[in-house]
Amino acid sequence: MTKVEAIIQVSKLESVKNSLHEIGIEGMTVLEARGHGRQKGHTEFYRGREYTVDLIPKIKLELVVAEPMVEKVVQAISAAARTGKIGDGKIFLSRIDEIIRIRNDERGEDAL
Amino acid sequence: MTTAGSLSSELRDLYTTESARIREDFAATGNGRAAISQRTALVEKIAHHLWKEVICPEEQGPQRFALVALGGFGRSWLFPHSDIDLLFLHADHETEEASKDQVRGFSQGLWDLRLKVSPATRVLSECDRFDPANVEFAISLLDCRYLAGDRDLFTRLHDKVIPKLMIRETQPLVQRLADVTRKRYEKFGNTIFHLEPDVKDTPGGLRDCNVALWLSLLSSMEKLHDWPDPKSLLSSSARKQFEPALDFLMSVRCFLHLRYGRDDNMLSWEAQEEAAKRGIGVYDAHELAPADWMRIYFSHARSVHRTATQLLEEIPAAWSSLSRHFHNLRARVSDADFSVVDGLVFLRQASVLQDPEVLLRLFHFVAHHDVRLGTTTEYKIEQVLPSLAATPPRGAELWLYLGEILAQPHAAQALRAMHSLRLLTLLLPELKAIDSLVVRDFYHRFTVDEHSFLAIESLHRLQQSHSEWEKQYAGILDELEQPELLYLSLLLHDTGKGVQSENHVEGSLLIAEQCLERLDLESSERDTVLFLIGNHLEMSAALRRDIFDSPTVAAFADKVGTPERLKMLCLFTYADIKAVNPDALTPWKAENVWQLYIAAANQLNRNVDQRLHPGADLDDEKIARLRALAPVAGKKVKAFLEGFPQRYLRTYAVNEVLHHLEMAESLGKQPIQLDLKRGRHWFELTLVTNDRPFLFGRVAGTLAAWGMNIVKANAFSNQAGTVVDTFYFTDRFRTLELNLSEWERFKRGISDVLTGEADLERMLKSRMQAEEKKATPRVKIKTSIEFDNLCSSNSTLVQVVAQDRPGLLYTVASCFAHHKCNIEIALIDTEGQMAIDVFYLSADRKKLAGDHLKQVETALREALQSGLPHGITSTVKPLNH
Repeated sequence: MTKVEAIIQVSKLESVKNSLHEIGIEGMTVLEARGHGRQKGHTEFYRGREYTVDLIPKIKLELVVAEPMVEKVVQAISAAARTGKIGDGKIFLSRIDEIIRIRNDERGEDAL
Repeated sequence: MTTAGSLSSELRDLYTTESARIREDFAATGNGRAAISQRTALVEKIAHHLWKEVICPEEQGPQRFALVALGGFGRSWLFPHSDIDLLFLHADHETEEASKDQVRGFSQGLWDLRLKVSPATRVLSECDRFDPANVEFAISLLDCRYLAGDRDLFTRLHDKVIPKLMIRETQPLVQRLADVTRKRYEKFGNTIFHLEPDVKDTPGGLRDCNVALWLSLLSSMEKLHDWPDPKSLLSSSARKQFEPALDFLMSVRCFLHLRYGRDDNMLSWEAQEEAAKRGIGVYDAHELAPADWMRIYFSHARSVHRTATQLLEEIPAAWSSLSRHFHNLRARVSDADFSVVDGLVFLRQASVLQDPEVLLRLFHFVAHHDVRLGTTTEYKIEQVLPSLAATPPRGAELWLYLGEILAQPHAAQALRAMHSLRLLTLLLPELKAIDSLVVRDFYHRFTVDEHSFLAIESLHRLQQSHSEWEKQYAGILDELEQPELLYLSLLLHDTGKGVQSENHVEGSLLIAEQCLERLDLESSERDTVLFLIGNHLEMSAALRRDIFDSPTVAAFADKVGTPERLKMLCLFTYADIKAVNPDALTPWKAENVWQLYIAAANQLNRNVDQRLHPGADLDDEKIARLRALAPVAGKKVKAFLEGFPQRYLRTYAVNEVLHHLEMAESLGKQPIQLDLKRGRHWFELTLVTNDRPFLFGRVAGTLAAWGMNIVKANAFSNQAGTVVDTFYFTDRFRTLELNLSEWERFKRGISDVLTGEADLERMLKSRMQAEEKKATPRVKIKTSIEFDNLCSSNSTLVQVVAQDRPGLLYTVASCFAHHKCNIEIALIDTEGQMAIDVFYLSADRKKLAGDHLKQVETALREALQSGLPHGITSTVKPLNH
């Protein structure tokens, strides 16, 4: 099993969710995030004050999927989140040893 | 004697069979009071069996040792899965020591039946001691009931020890009870209106029933020095509502315990559905829609909460010396009609409420002074409601009071009080549809009406905020010209959730239109309220897009139209999210809302000089409305508007534009047209005349010379050279406020300065001499001057941020005039002691450039430095030119 963590643009959340639903992914965790990679901040002046946003609002998606689904999930997220401009985000993959469903102690892929 | 094993099995059978019967009875009748009384009797029977087997074969033996029921068991309110509170009472420590094994065996017997027992052991003398760390035990003694053992020992506890303890310790007990209750209220956001309430702990739940009964009991004991008659505990009027509420809540809690099979009191969506289907707690147990059943729940919870909070406020001992002192300070706010005692408002004469105006003034008083209605005041209001319902106040008169109530710092408290007494829905029947309305939503925690009150409350609370980002929101709230319109929009924005409609925003708009019509709001005010309701989700929607993307910001700013509406929508969004649930407005969201606000504000302020061409701008809604309102003057309207910047139409309502047109048409007779009005927060002076050098600066200077503080100003001119300047100012010395005769002299003074008949320099000099004596400002603002030649196609933008002081605007505007700069647009604003002035300048209808720009920049810096108080530094930041 693989954990997929994707940092995406806030505006792309709906389309990414829809794409994941289309390939049968129902569950995910969505977190409000801030950060930047190579895309640097943004400055606004308001009433003589400088407002610098060096950490840009982003959305972080987290989901764990069975091996056969990993590539499909990556492609669904990439296709839906891509604008081709800097700041589109990143996808991180990592191995998961075990999953336990708290309600009934199911384990492994059954608990997905 | 039975063996331990056979007794255990016998009692288990008894408990299982009888519990099943109680369950069946409840399923058939839905009678919670009967079910808890049956379970109390069952547990009592088991306790007696065990007592005889384990402690003493005689039910009333042994001597010097008794079994006492406490808490819910003592009250005979044992819900299907409630804990069983027991007291093993001993005459002295010897009997306590001797019966230790027996007590252990007795408790073991109950635990073997899987009953949740909370046992306590005390000798009689210990019960007389007050332990501040365990007030709960002292409170639980109030519900004590004899079960078995030495009856004389129990009688000594009941008749002597407890009354003595309670009378001696009334004050700390009441205080502690009040503290614990208030903490519990805070945990639940101080409201009964939760979508999924806990029927025990949420305000208005069974815990409040106990609190009300305990407070009343303690208060009576202190007066009578003995146990009072239980029937006398609450007033007959309170009991009339309290008893049916108690019956209802008992049935609901029984239902929940039986449904979950444990002590779980959460009235979840699913439980609500099932309870409504079975008509739990409802007369004749008929099926109801879940939302209607929940309305019954909330009406009972409201009665219970009201009784409990009234007792918390009214029992004088409940107040600590500090809060008592604080409340007595408030007594000084009493006036001719209302008196305040211990934070409660009472009427000096009951008959005054016959006058609806006094009734509305009473709620204005509550909203202003943070006080609550006394019980007798509420009773008197209830009495006048039927006659008020026959001819309820309406129209401008109602709006006058309602608007004032909404703008007061404790408006939400007044609205809740009005709502609880059914007065609010009498005045605004539009709110009936959302009265205690539960709308299923994973994010919302409160009913629709409470959500609206909370939204209003969250804005008022901004004024006391200490967090930096909340202060930013508080800043723009302070700047609103008509905050009452924002509050009214919040009150009405979700009314559509109470009617069948495709989307609630459409429904809310239809309802709000009727309401605004009845309140007789002016058309520009109606437009603002309907705009806010109609677009209240726009900012949240924009947040789901890229808020750093210029076209997104531009589209959003365009939709909003004016800076004033943008401020209102930003505050609306803040309040609407914050009132969803206590965690809904994360710092992430709050910061994004603010970022979008400043981006859109800059968009509106820096793209304002695009010129109007009414012939081409056919799709502009406002131009269409102007034409509809003044069809005869159609050509004149077109000619007048030609060349004004877009911002002009965004700044003024249709009726104001038509008034400017009328003033412009009178210029032939009187070349300087002035209109002076007194607004809610400040005076408003509109000048229409033909453009001339030094015009804006001279008016600003005259106002300064009269001691007026310019808070905001707009300056616009059209292609024909007609100028429309508006100055909003406060009258620092109340010259105009106190002397109506001065209005004409003031206007004449301005005309004389403009025509050169009066010497402005001399007027200003004498004013400045007077002002010099004033103390230095408390907050020092660093001067910042920014030139921008990129944001406009025709003008150079200059933004000056500086310490506000008399004559500042005159200094700046004169400097521009001396350097032959034409002020195309001026947007003047003040934030506390900070003046934020934006000018769009041109010279020979072009942007400033080259040496000319540098000269203006240097001259402006020098002019501002020379006028600044000692010690304030200045930086000039040339940008983008």
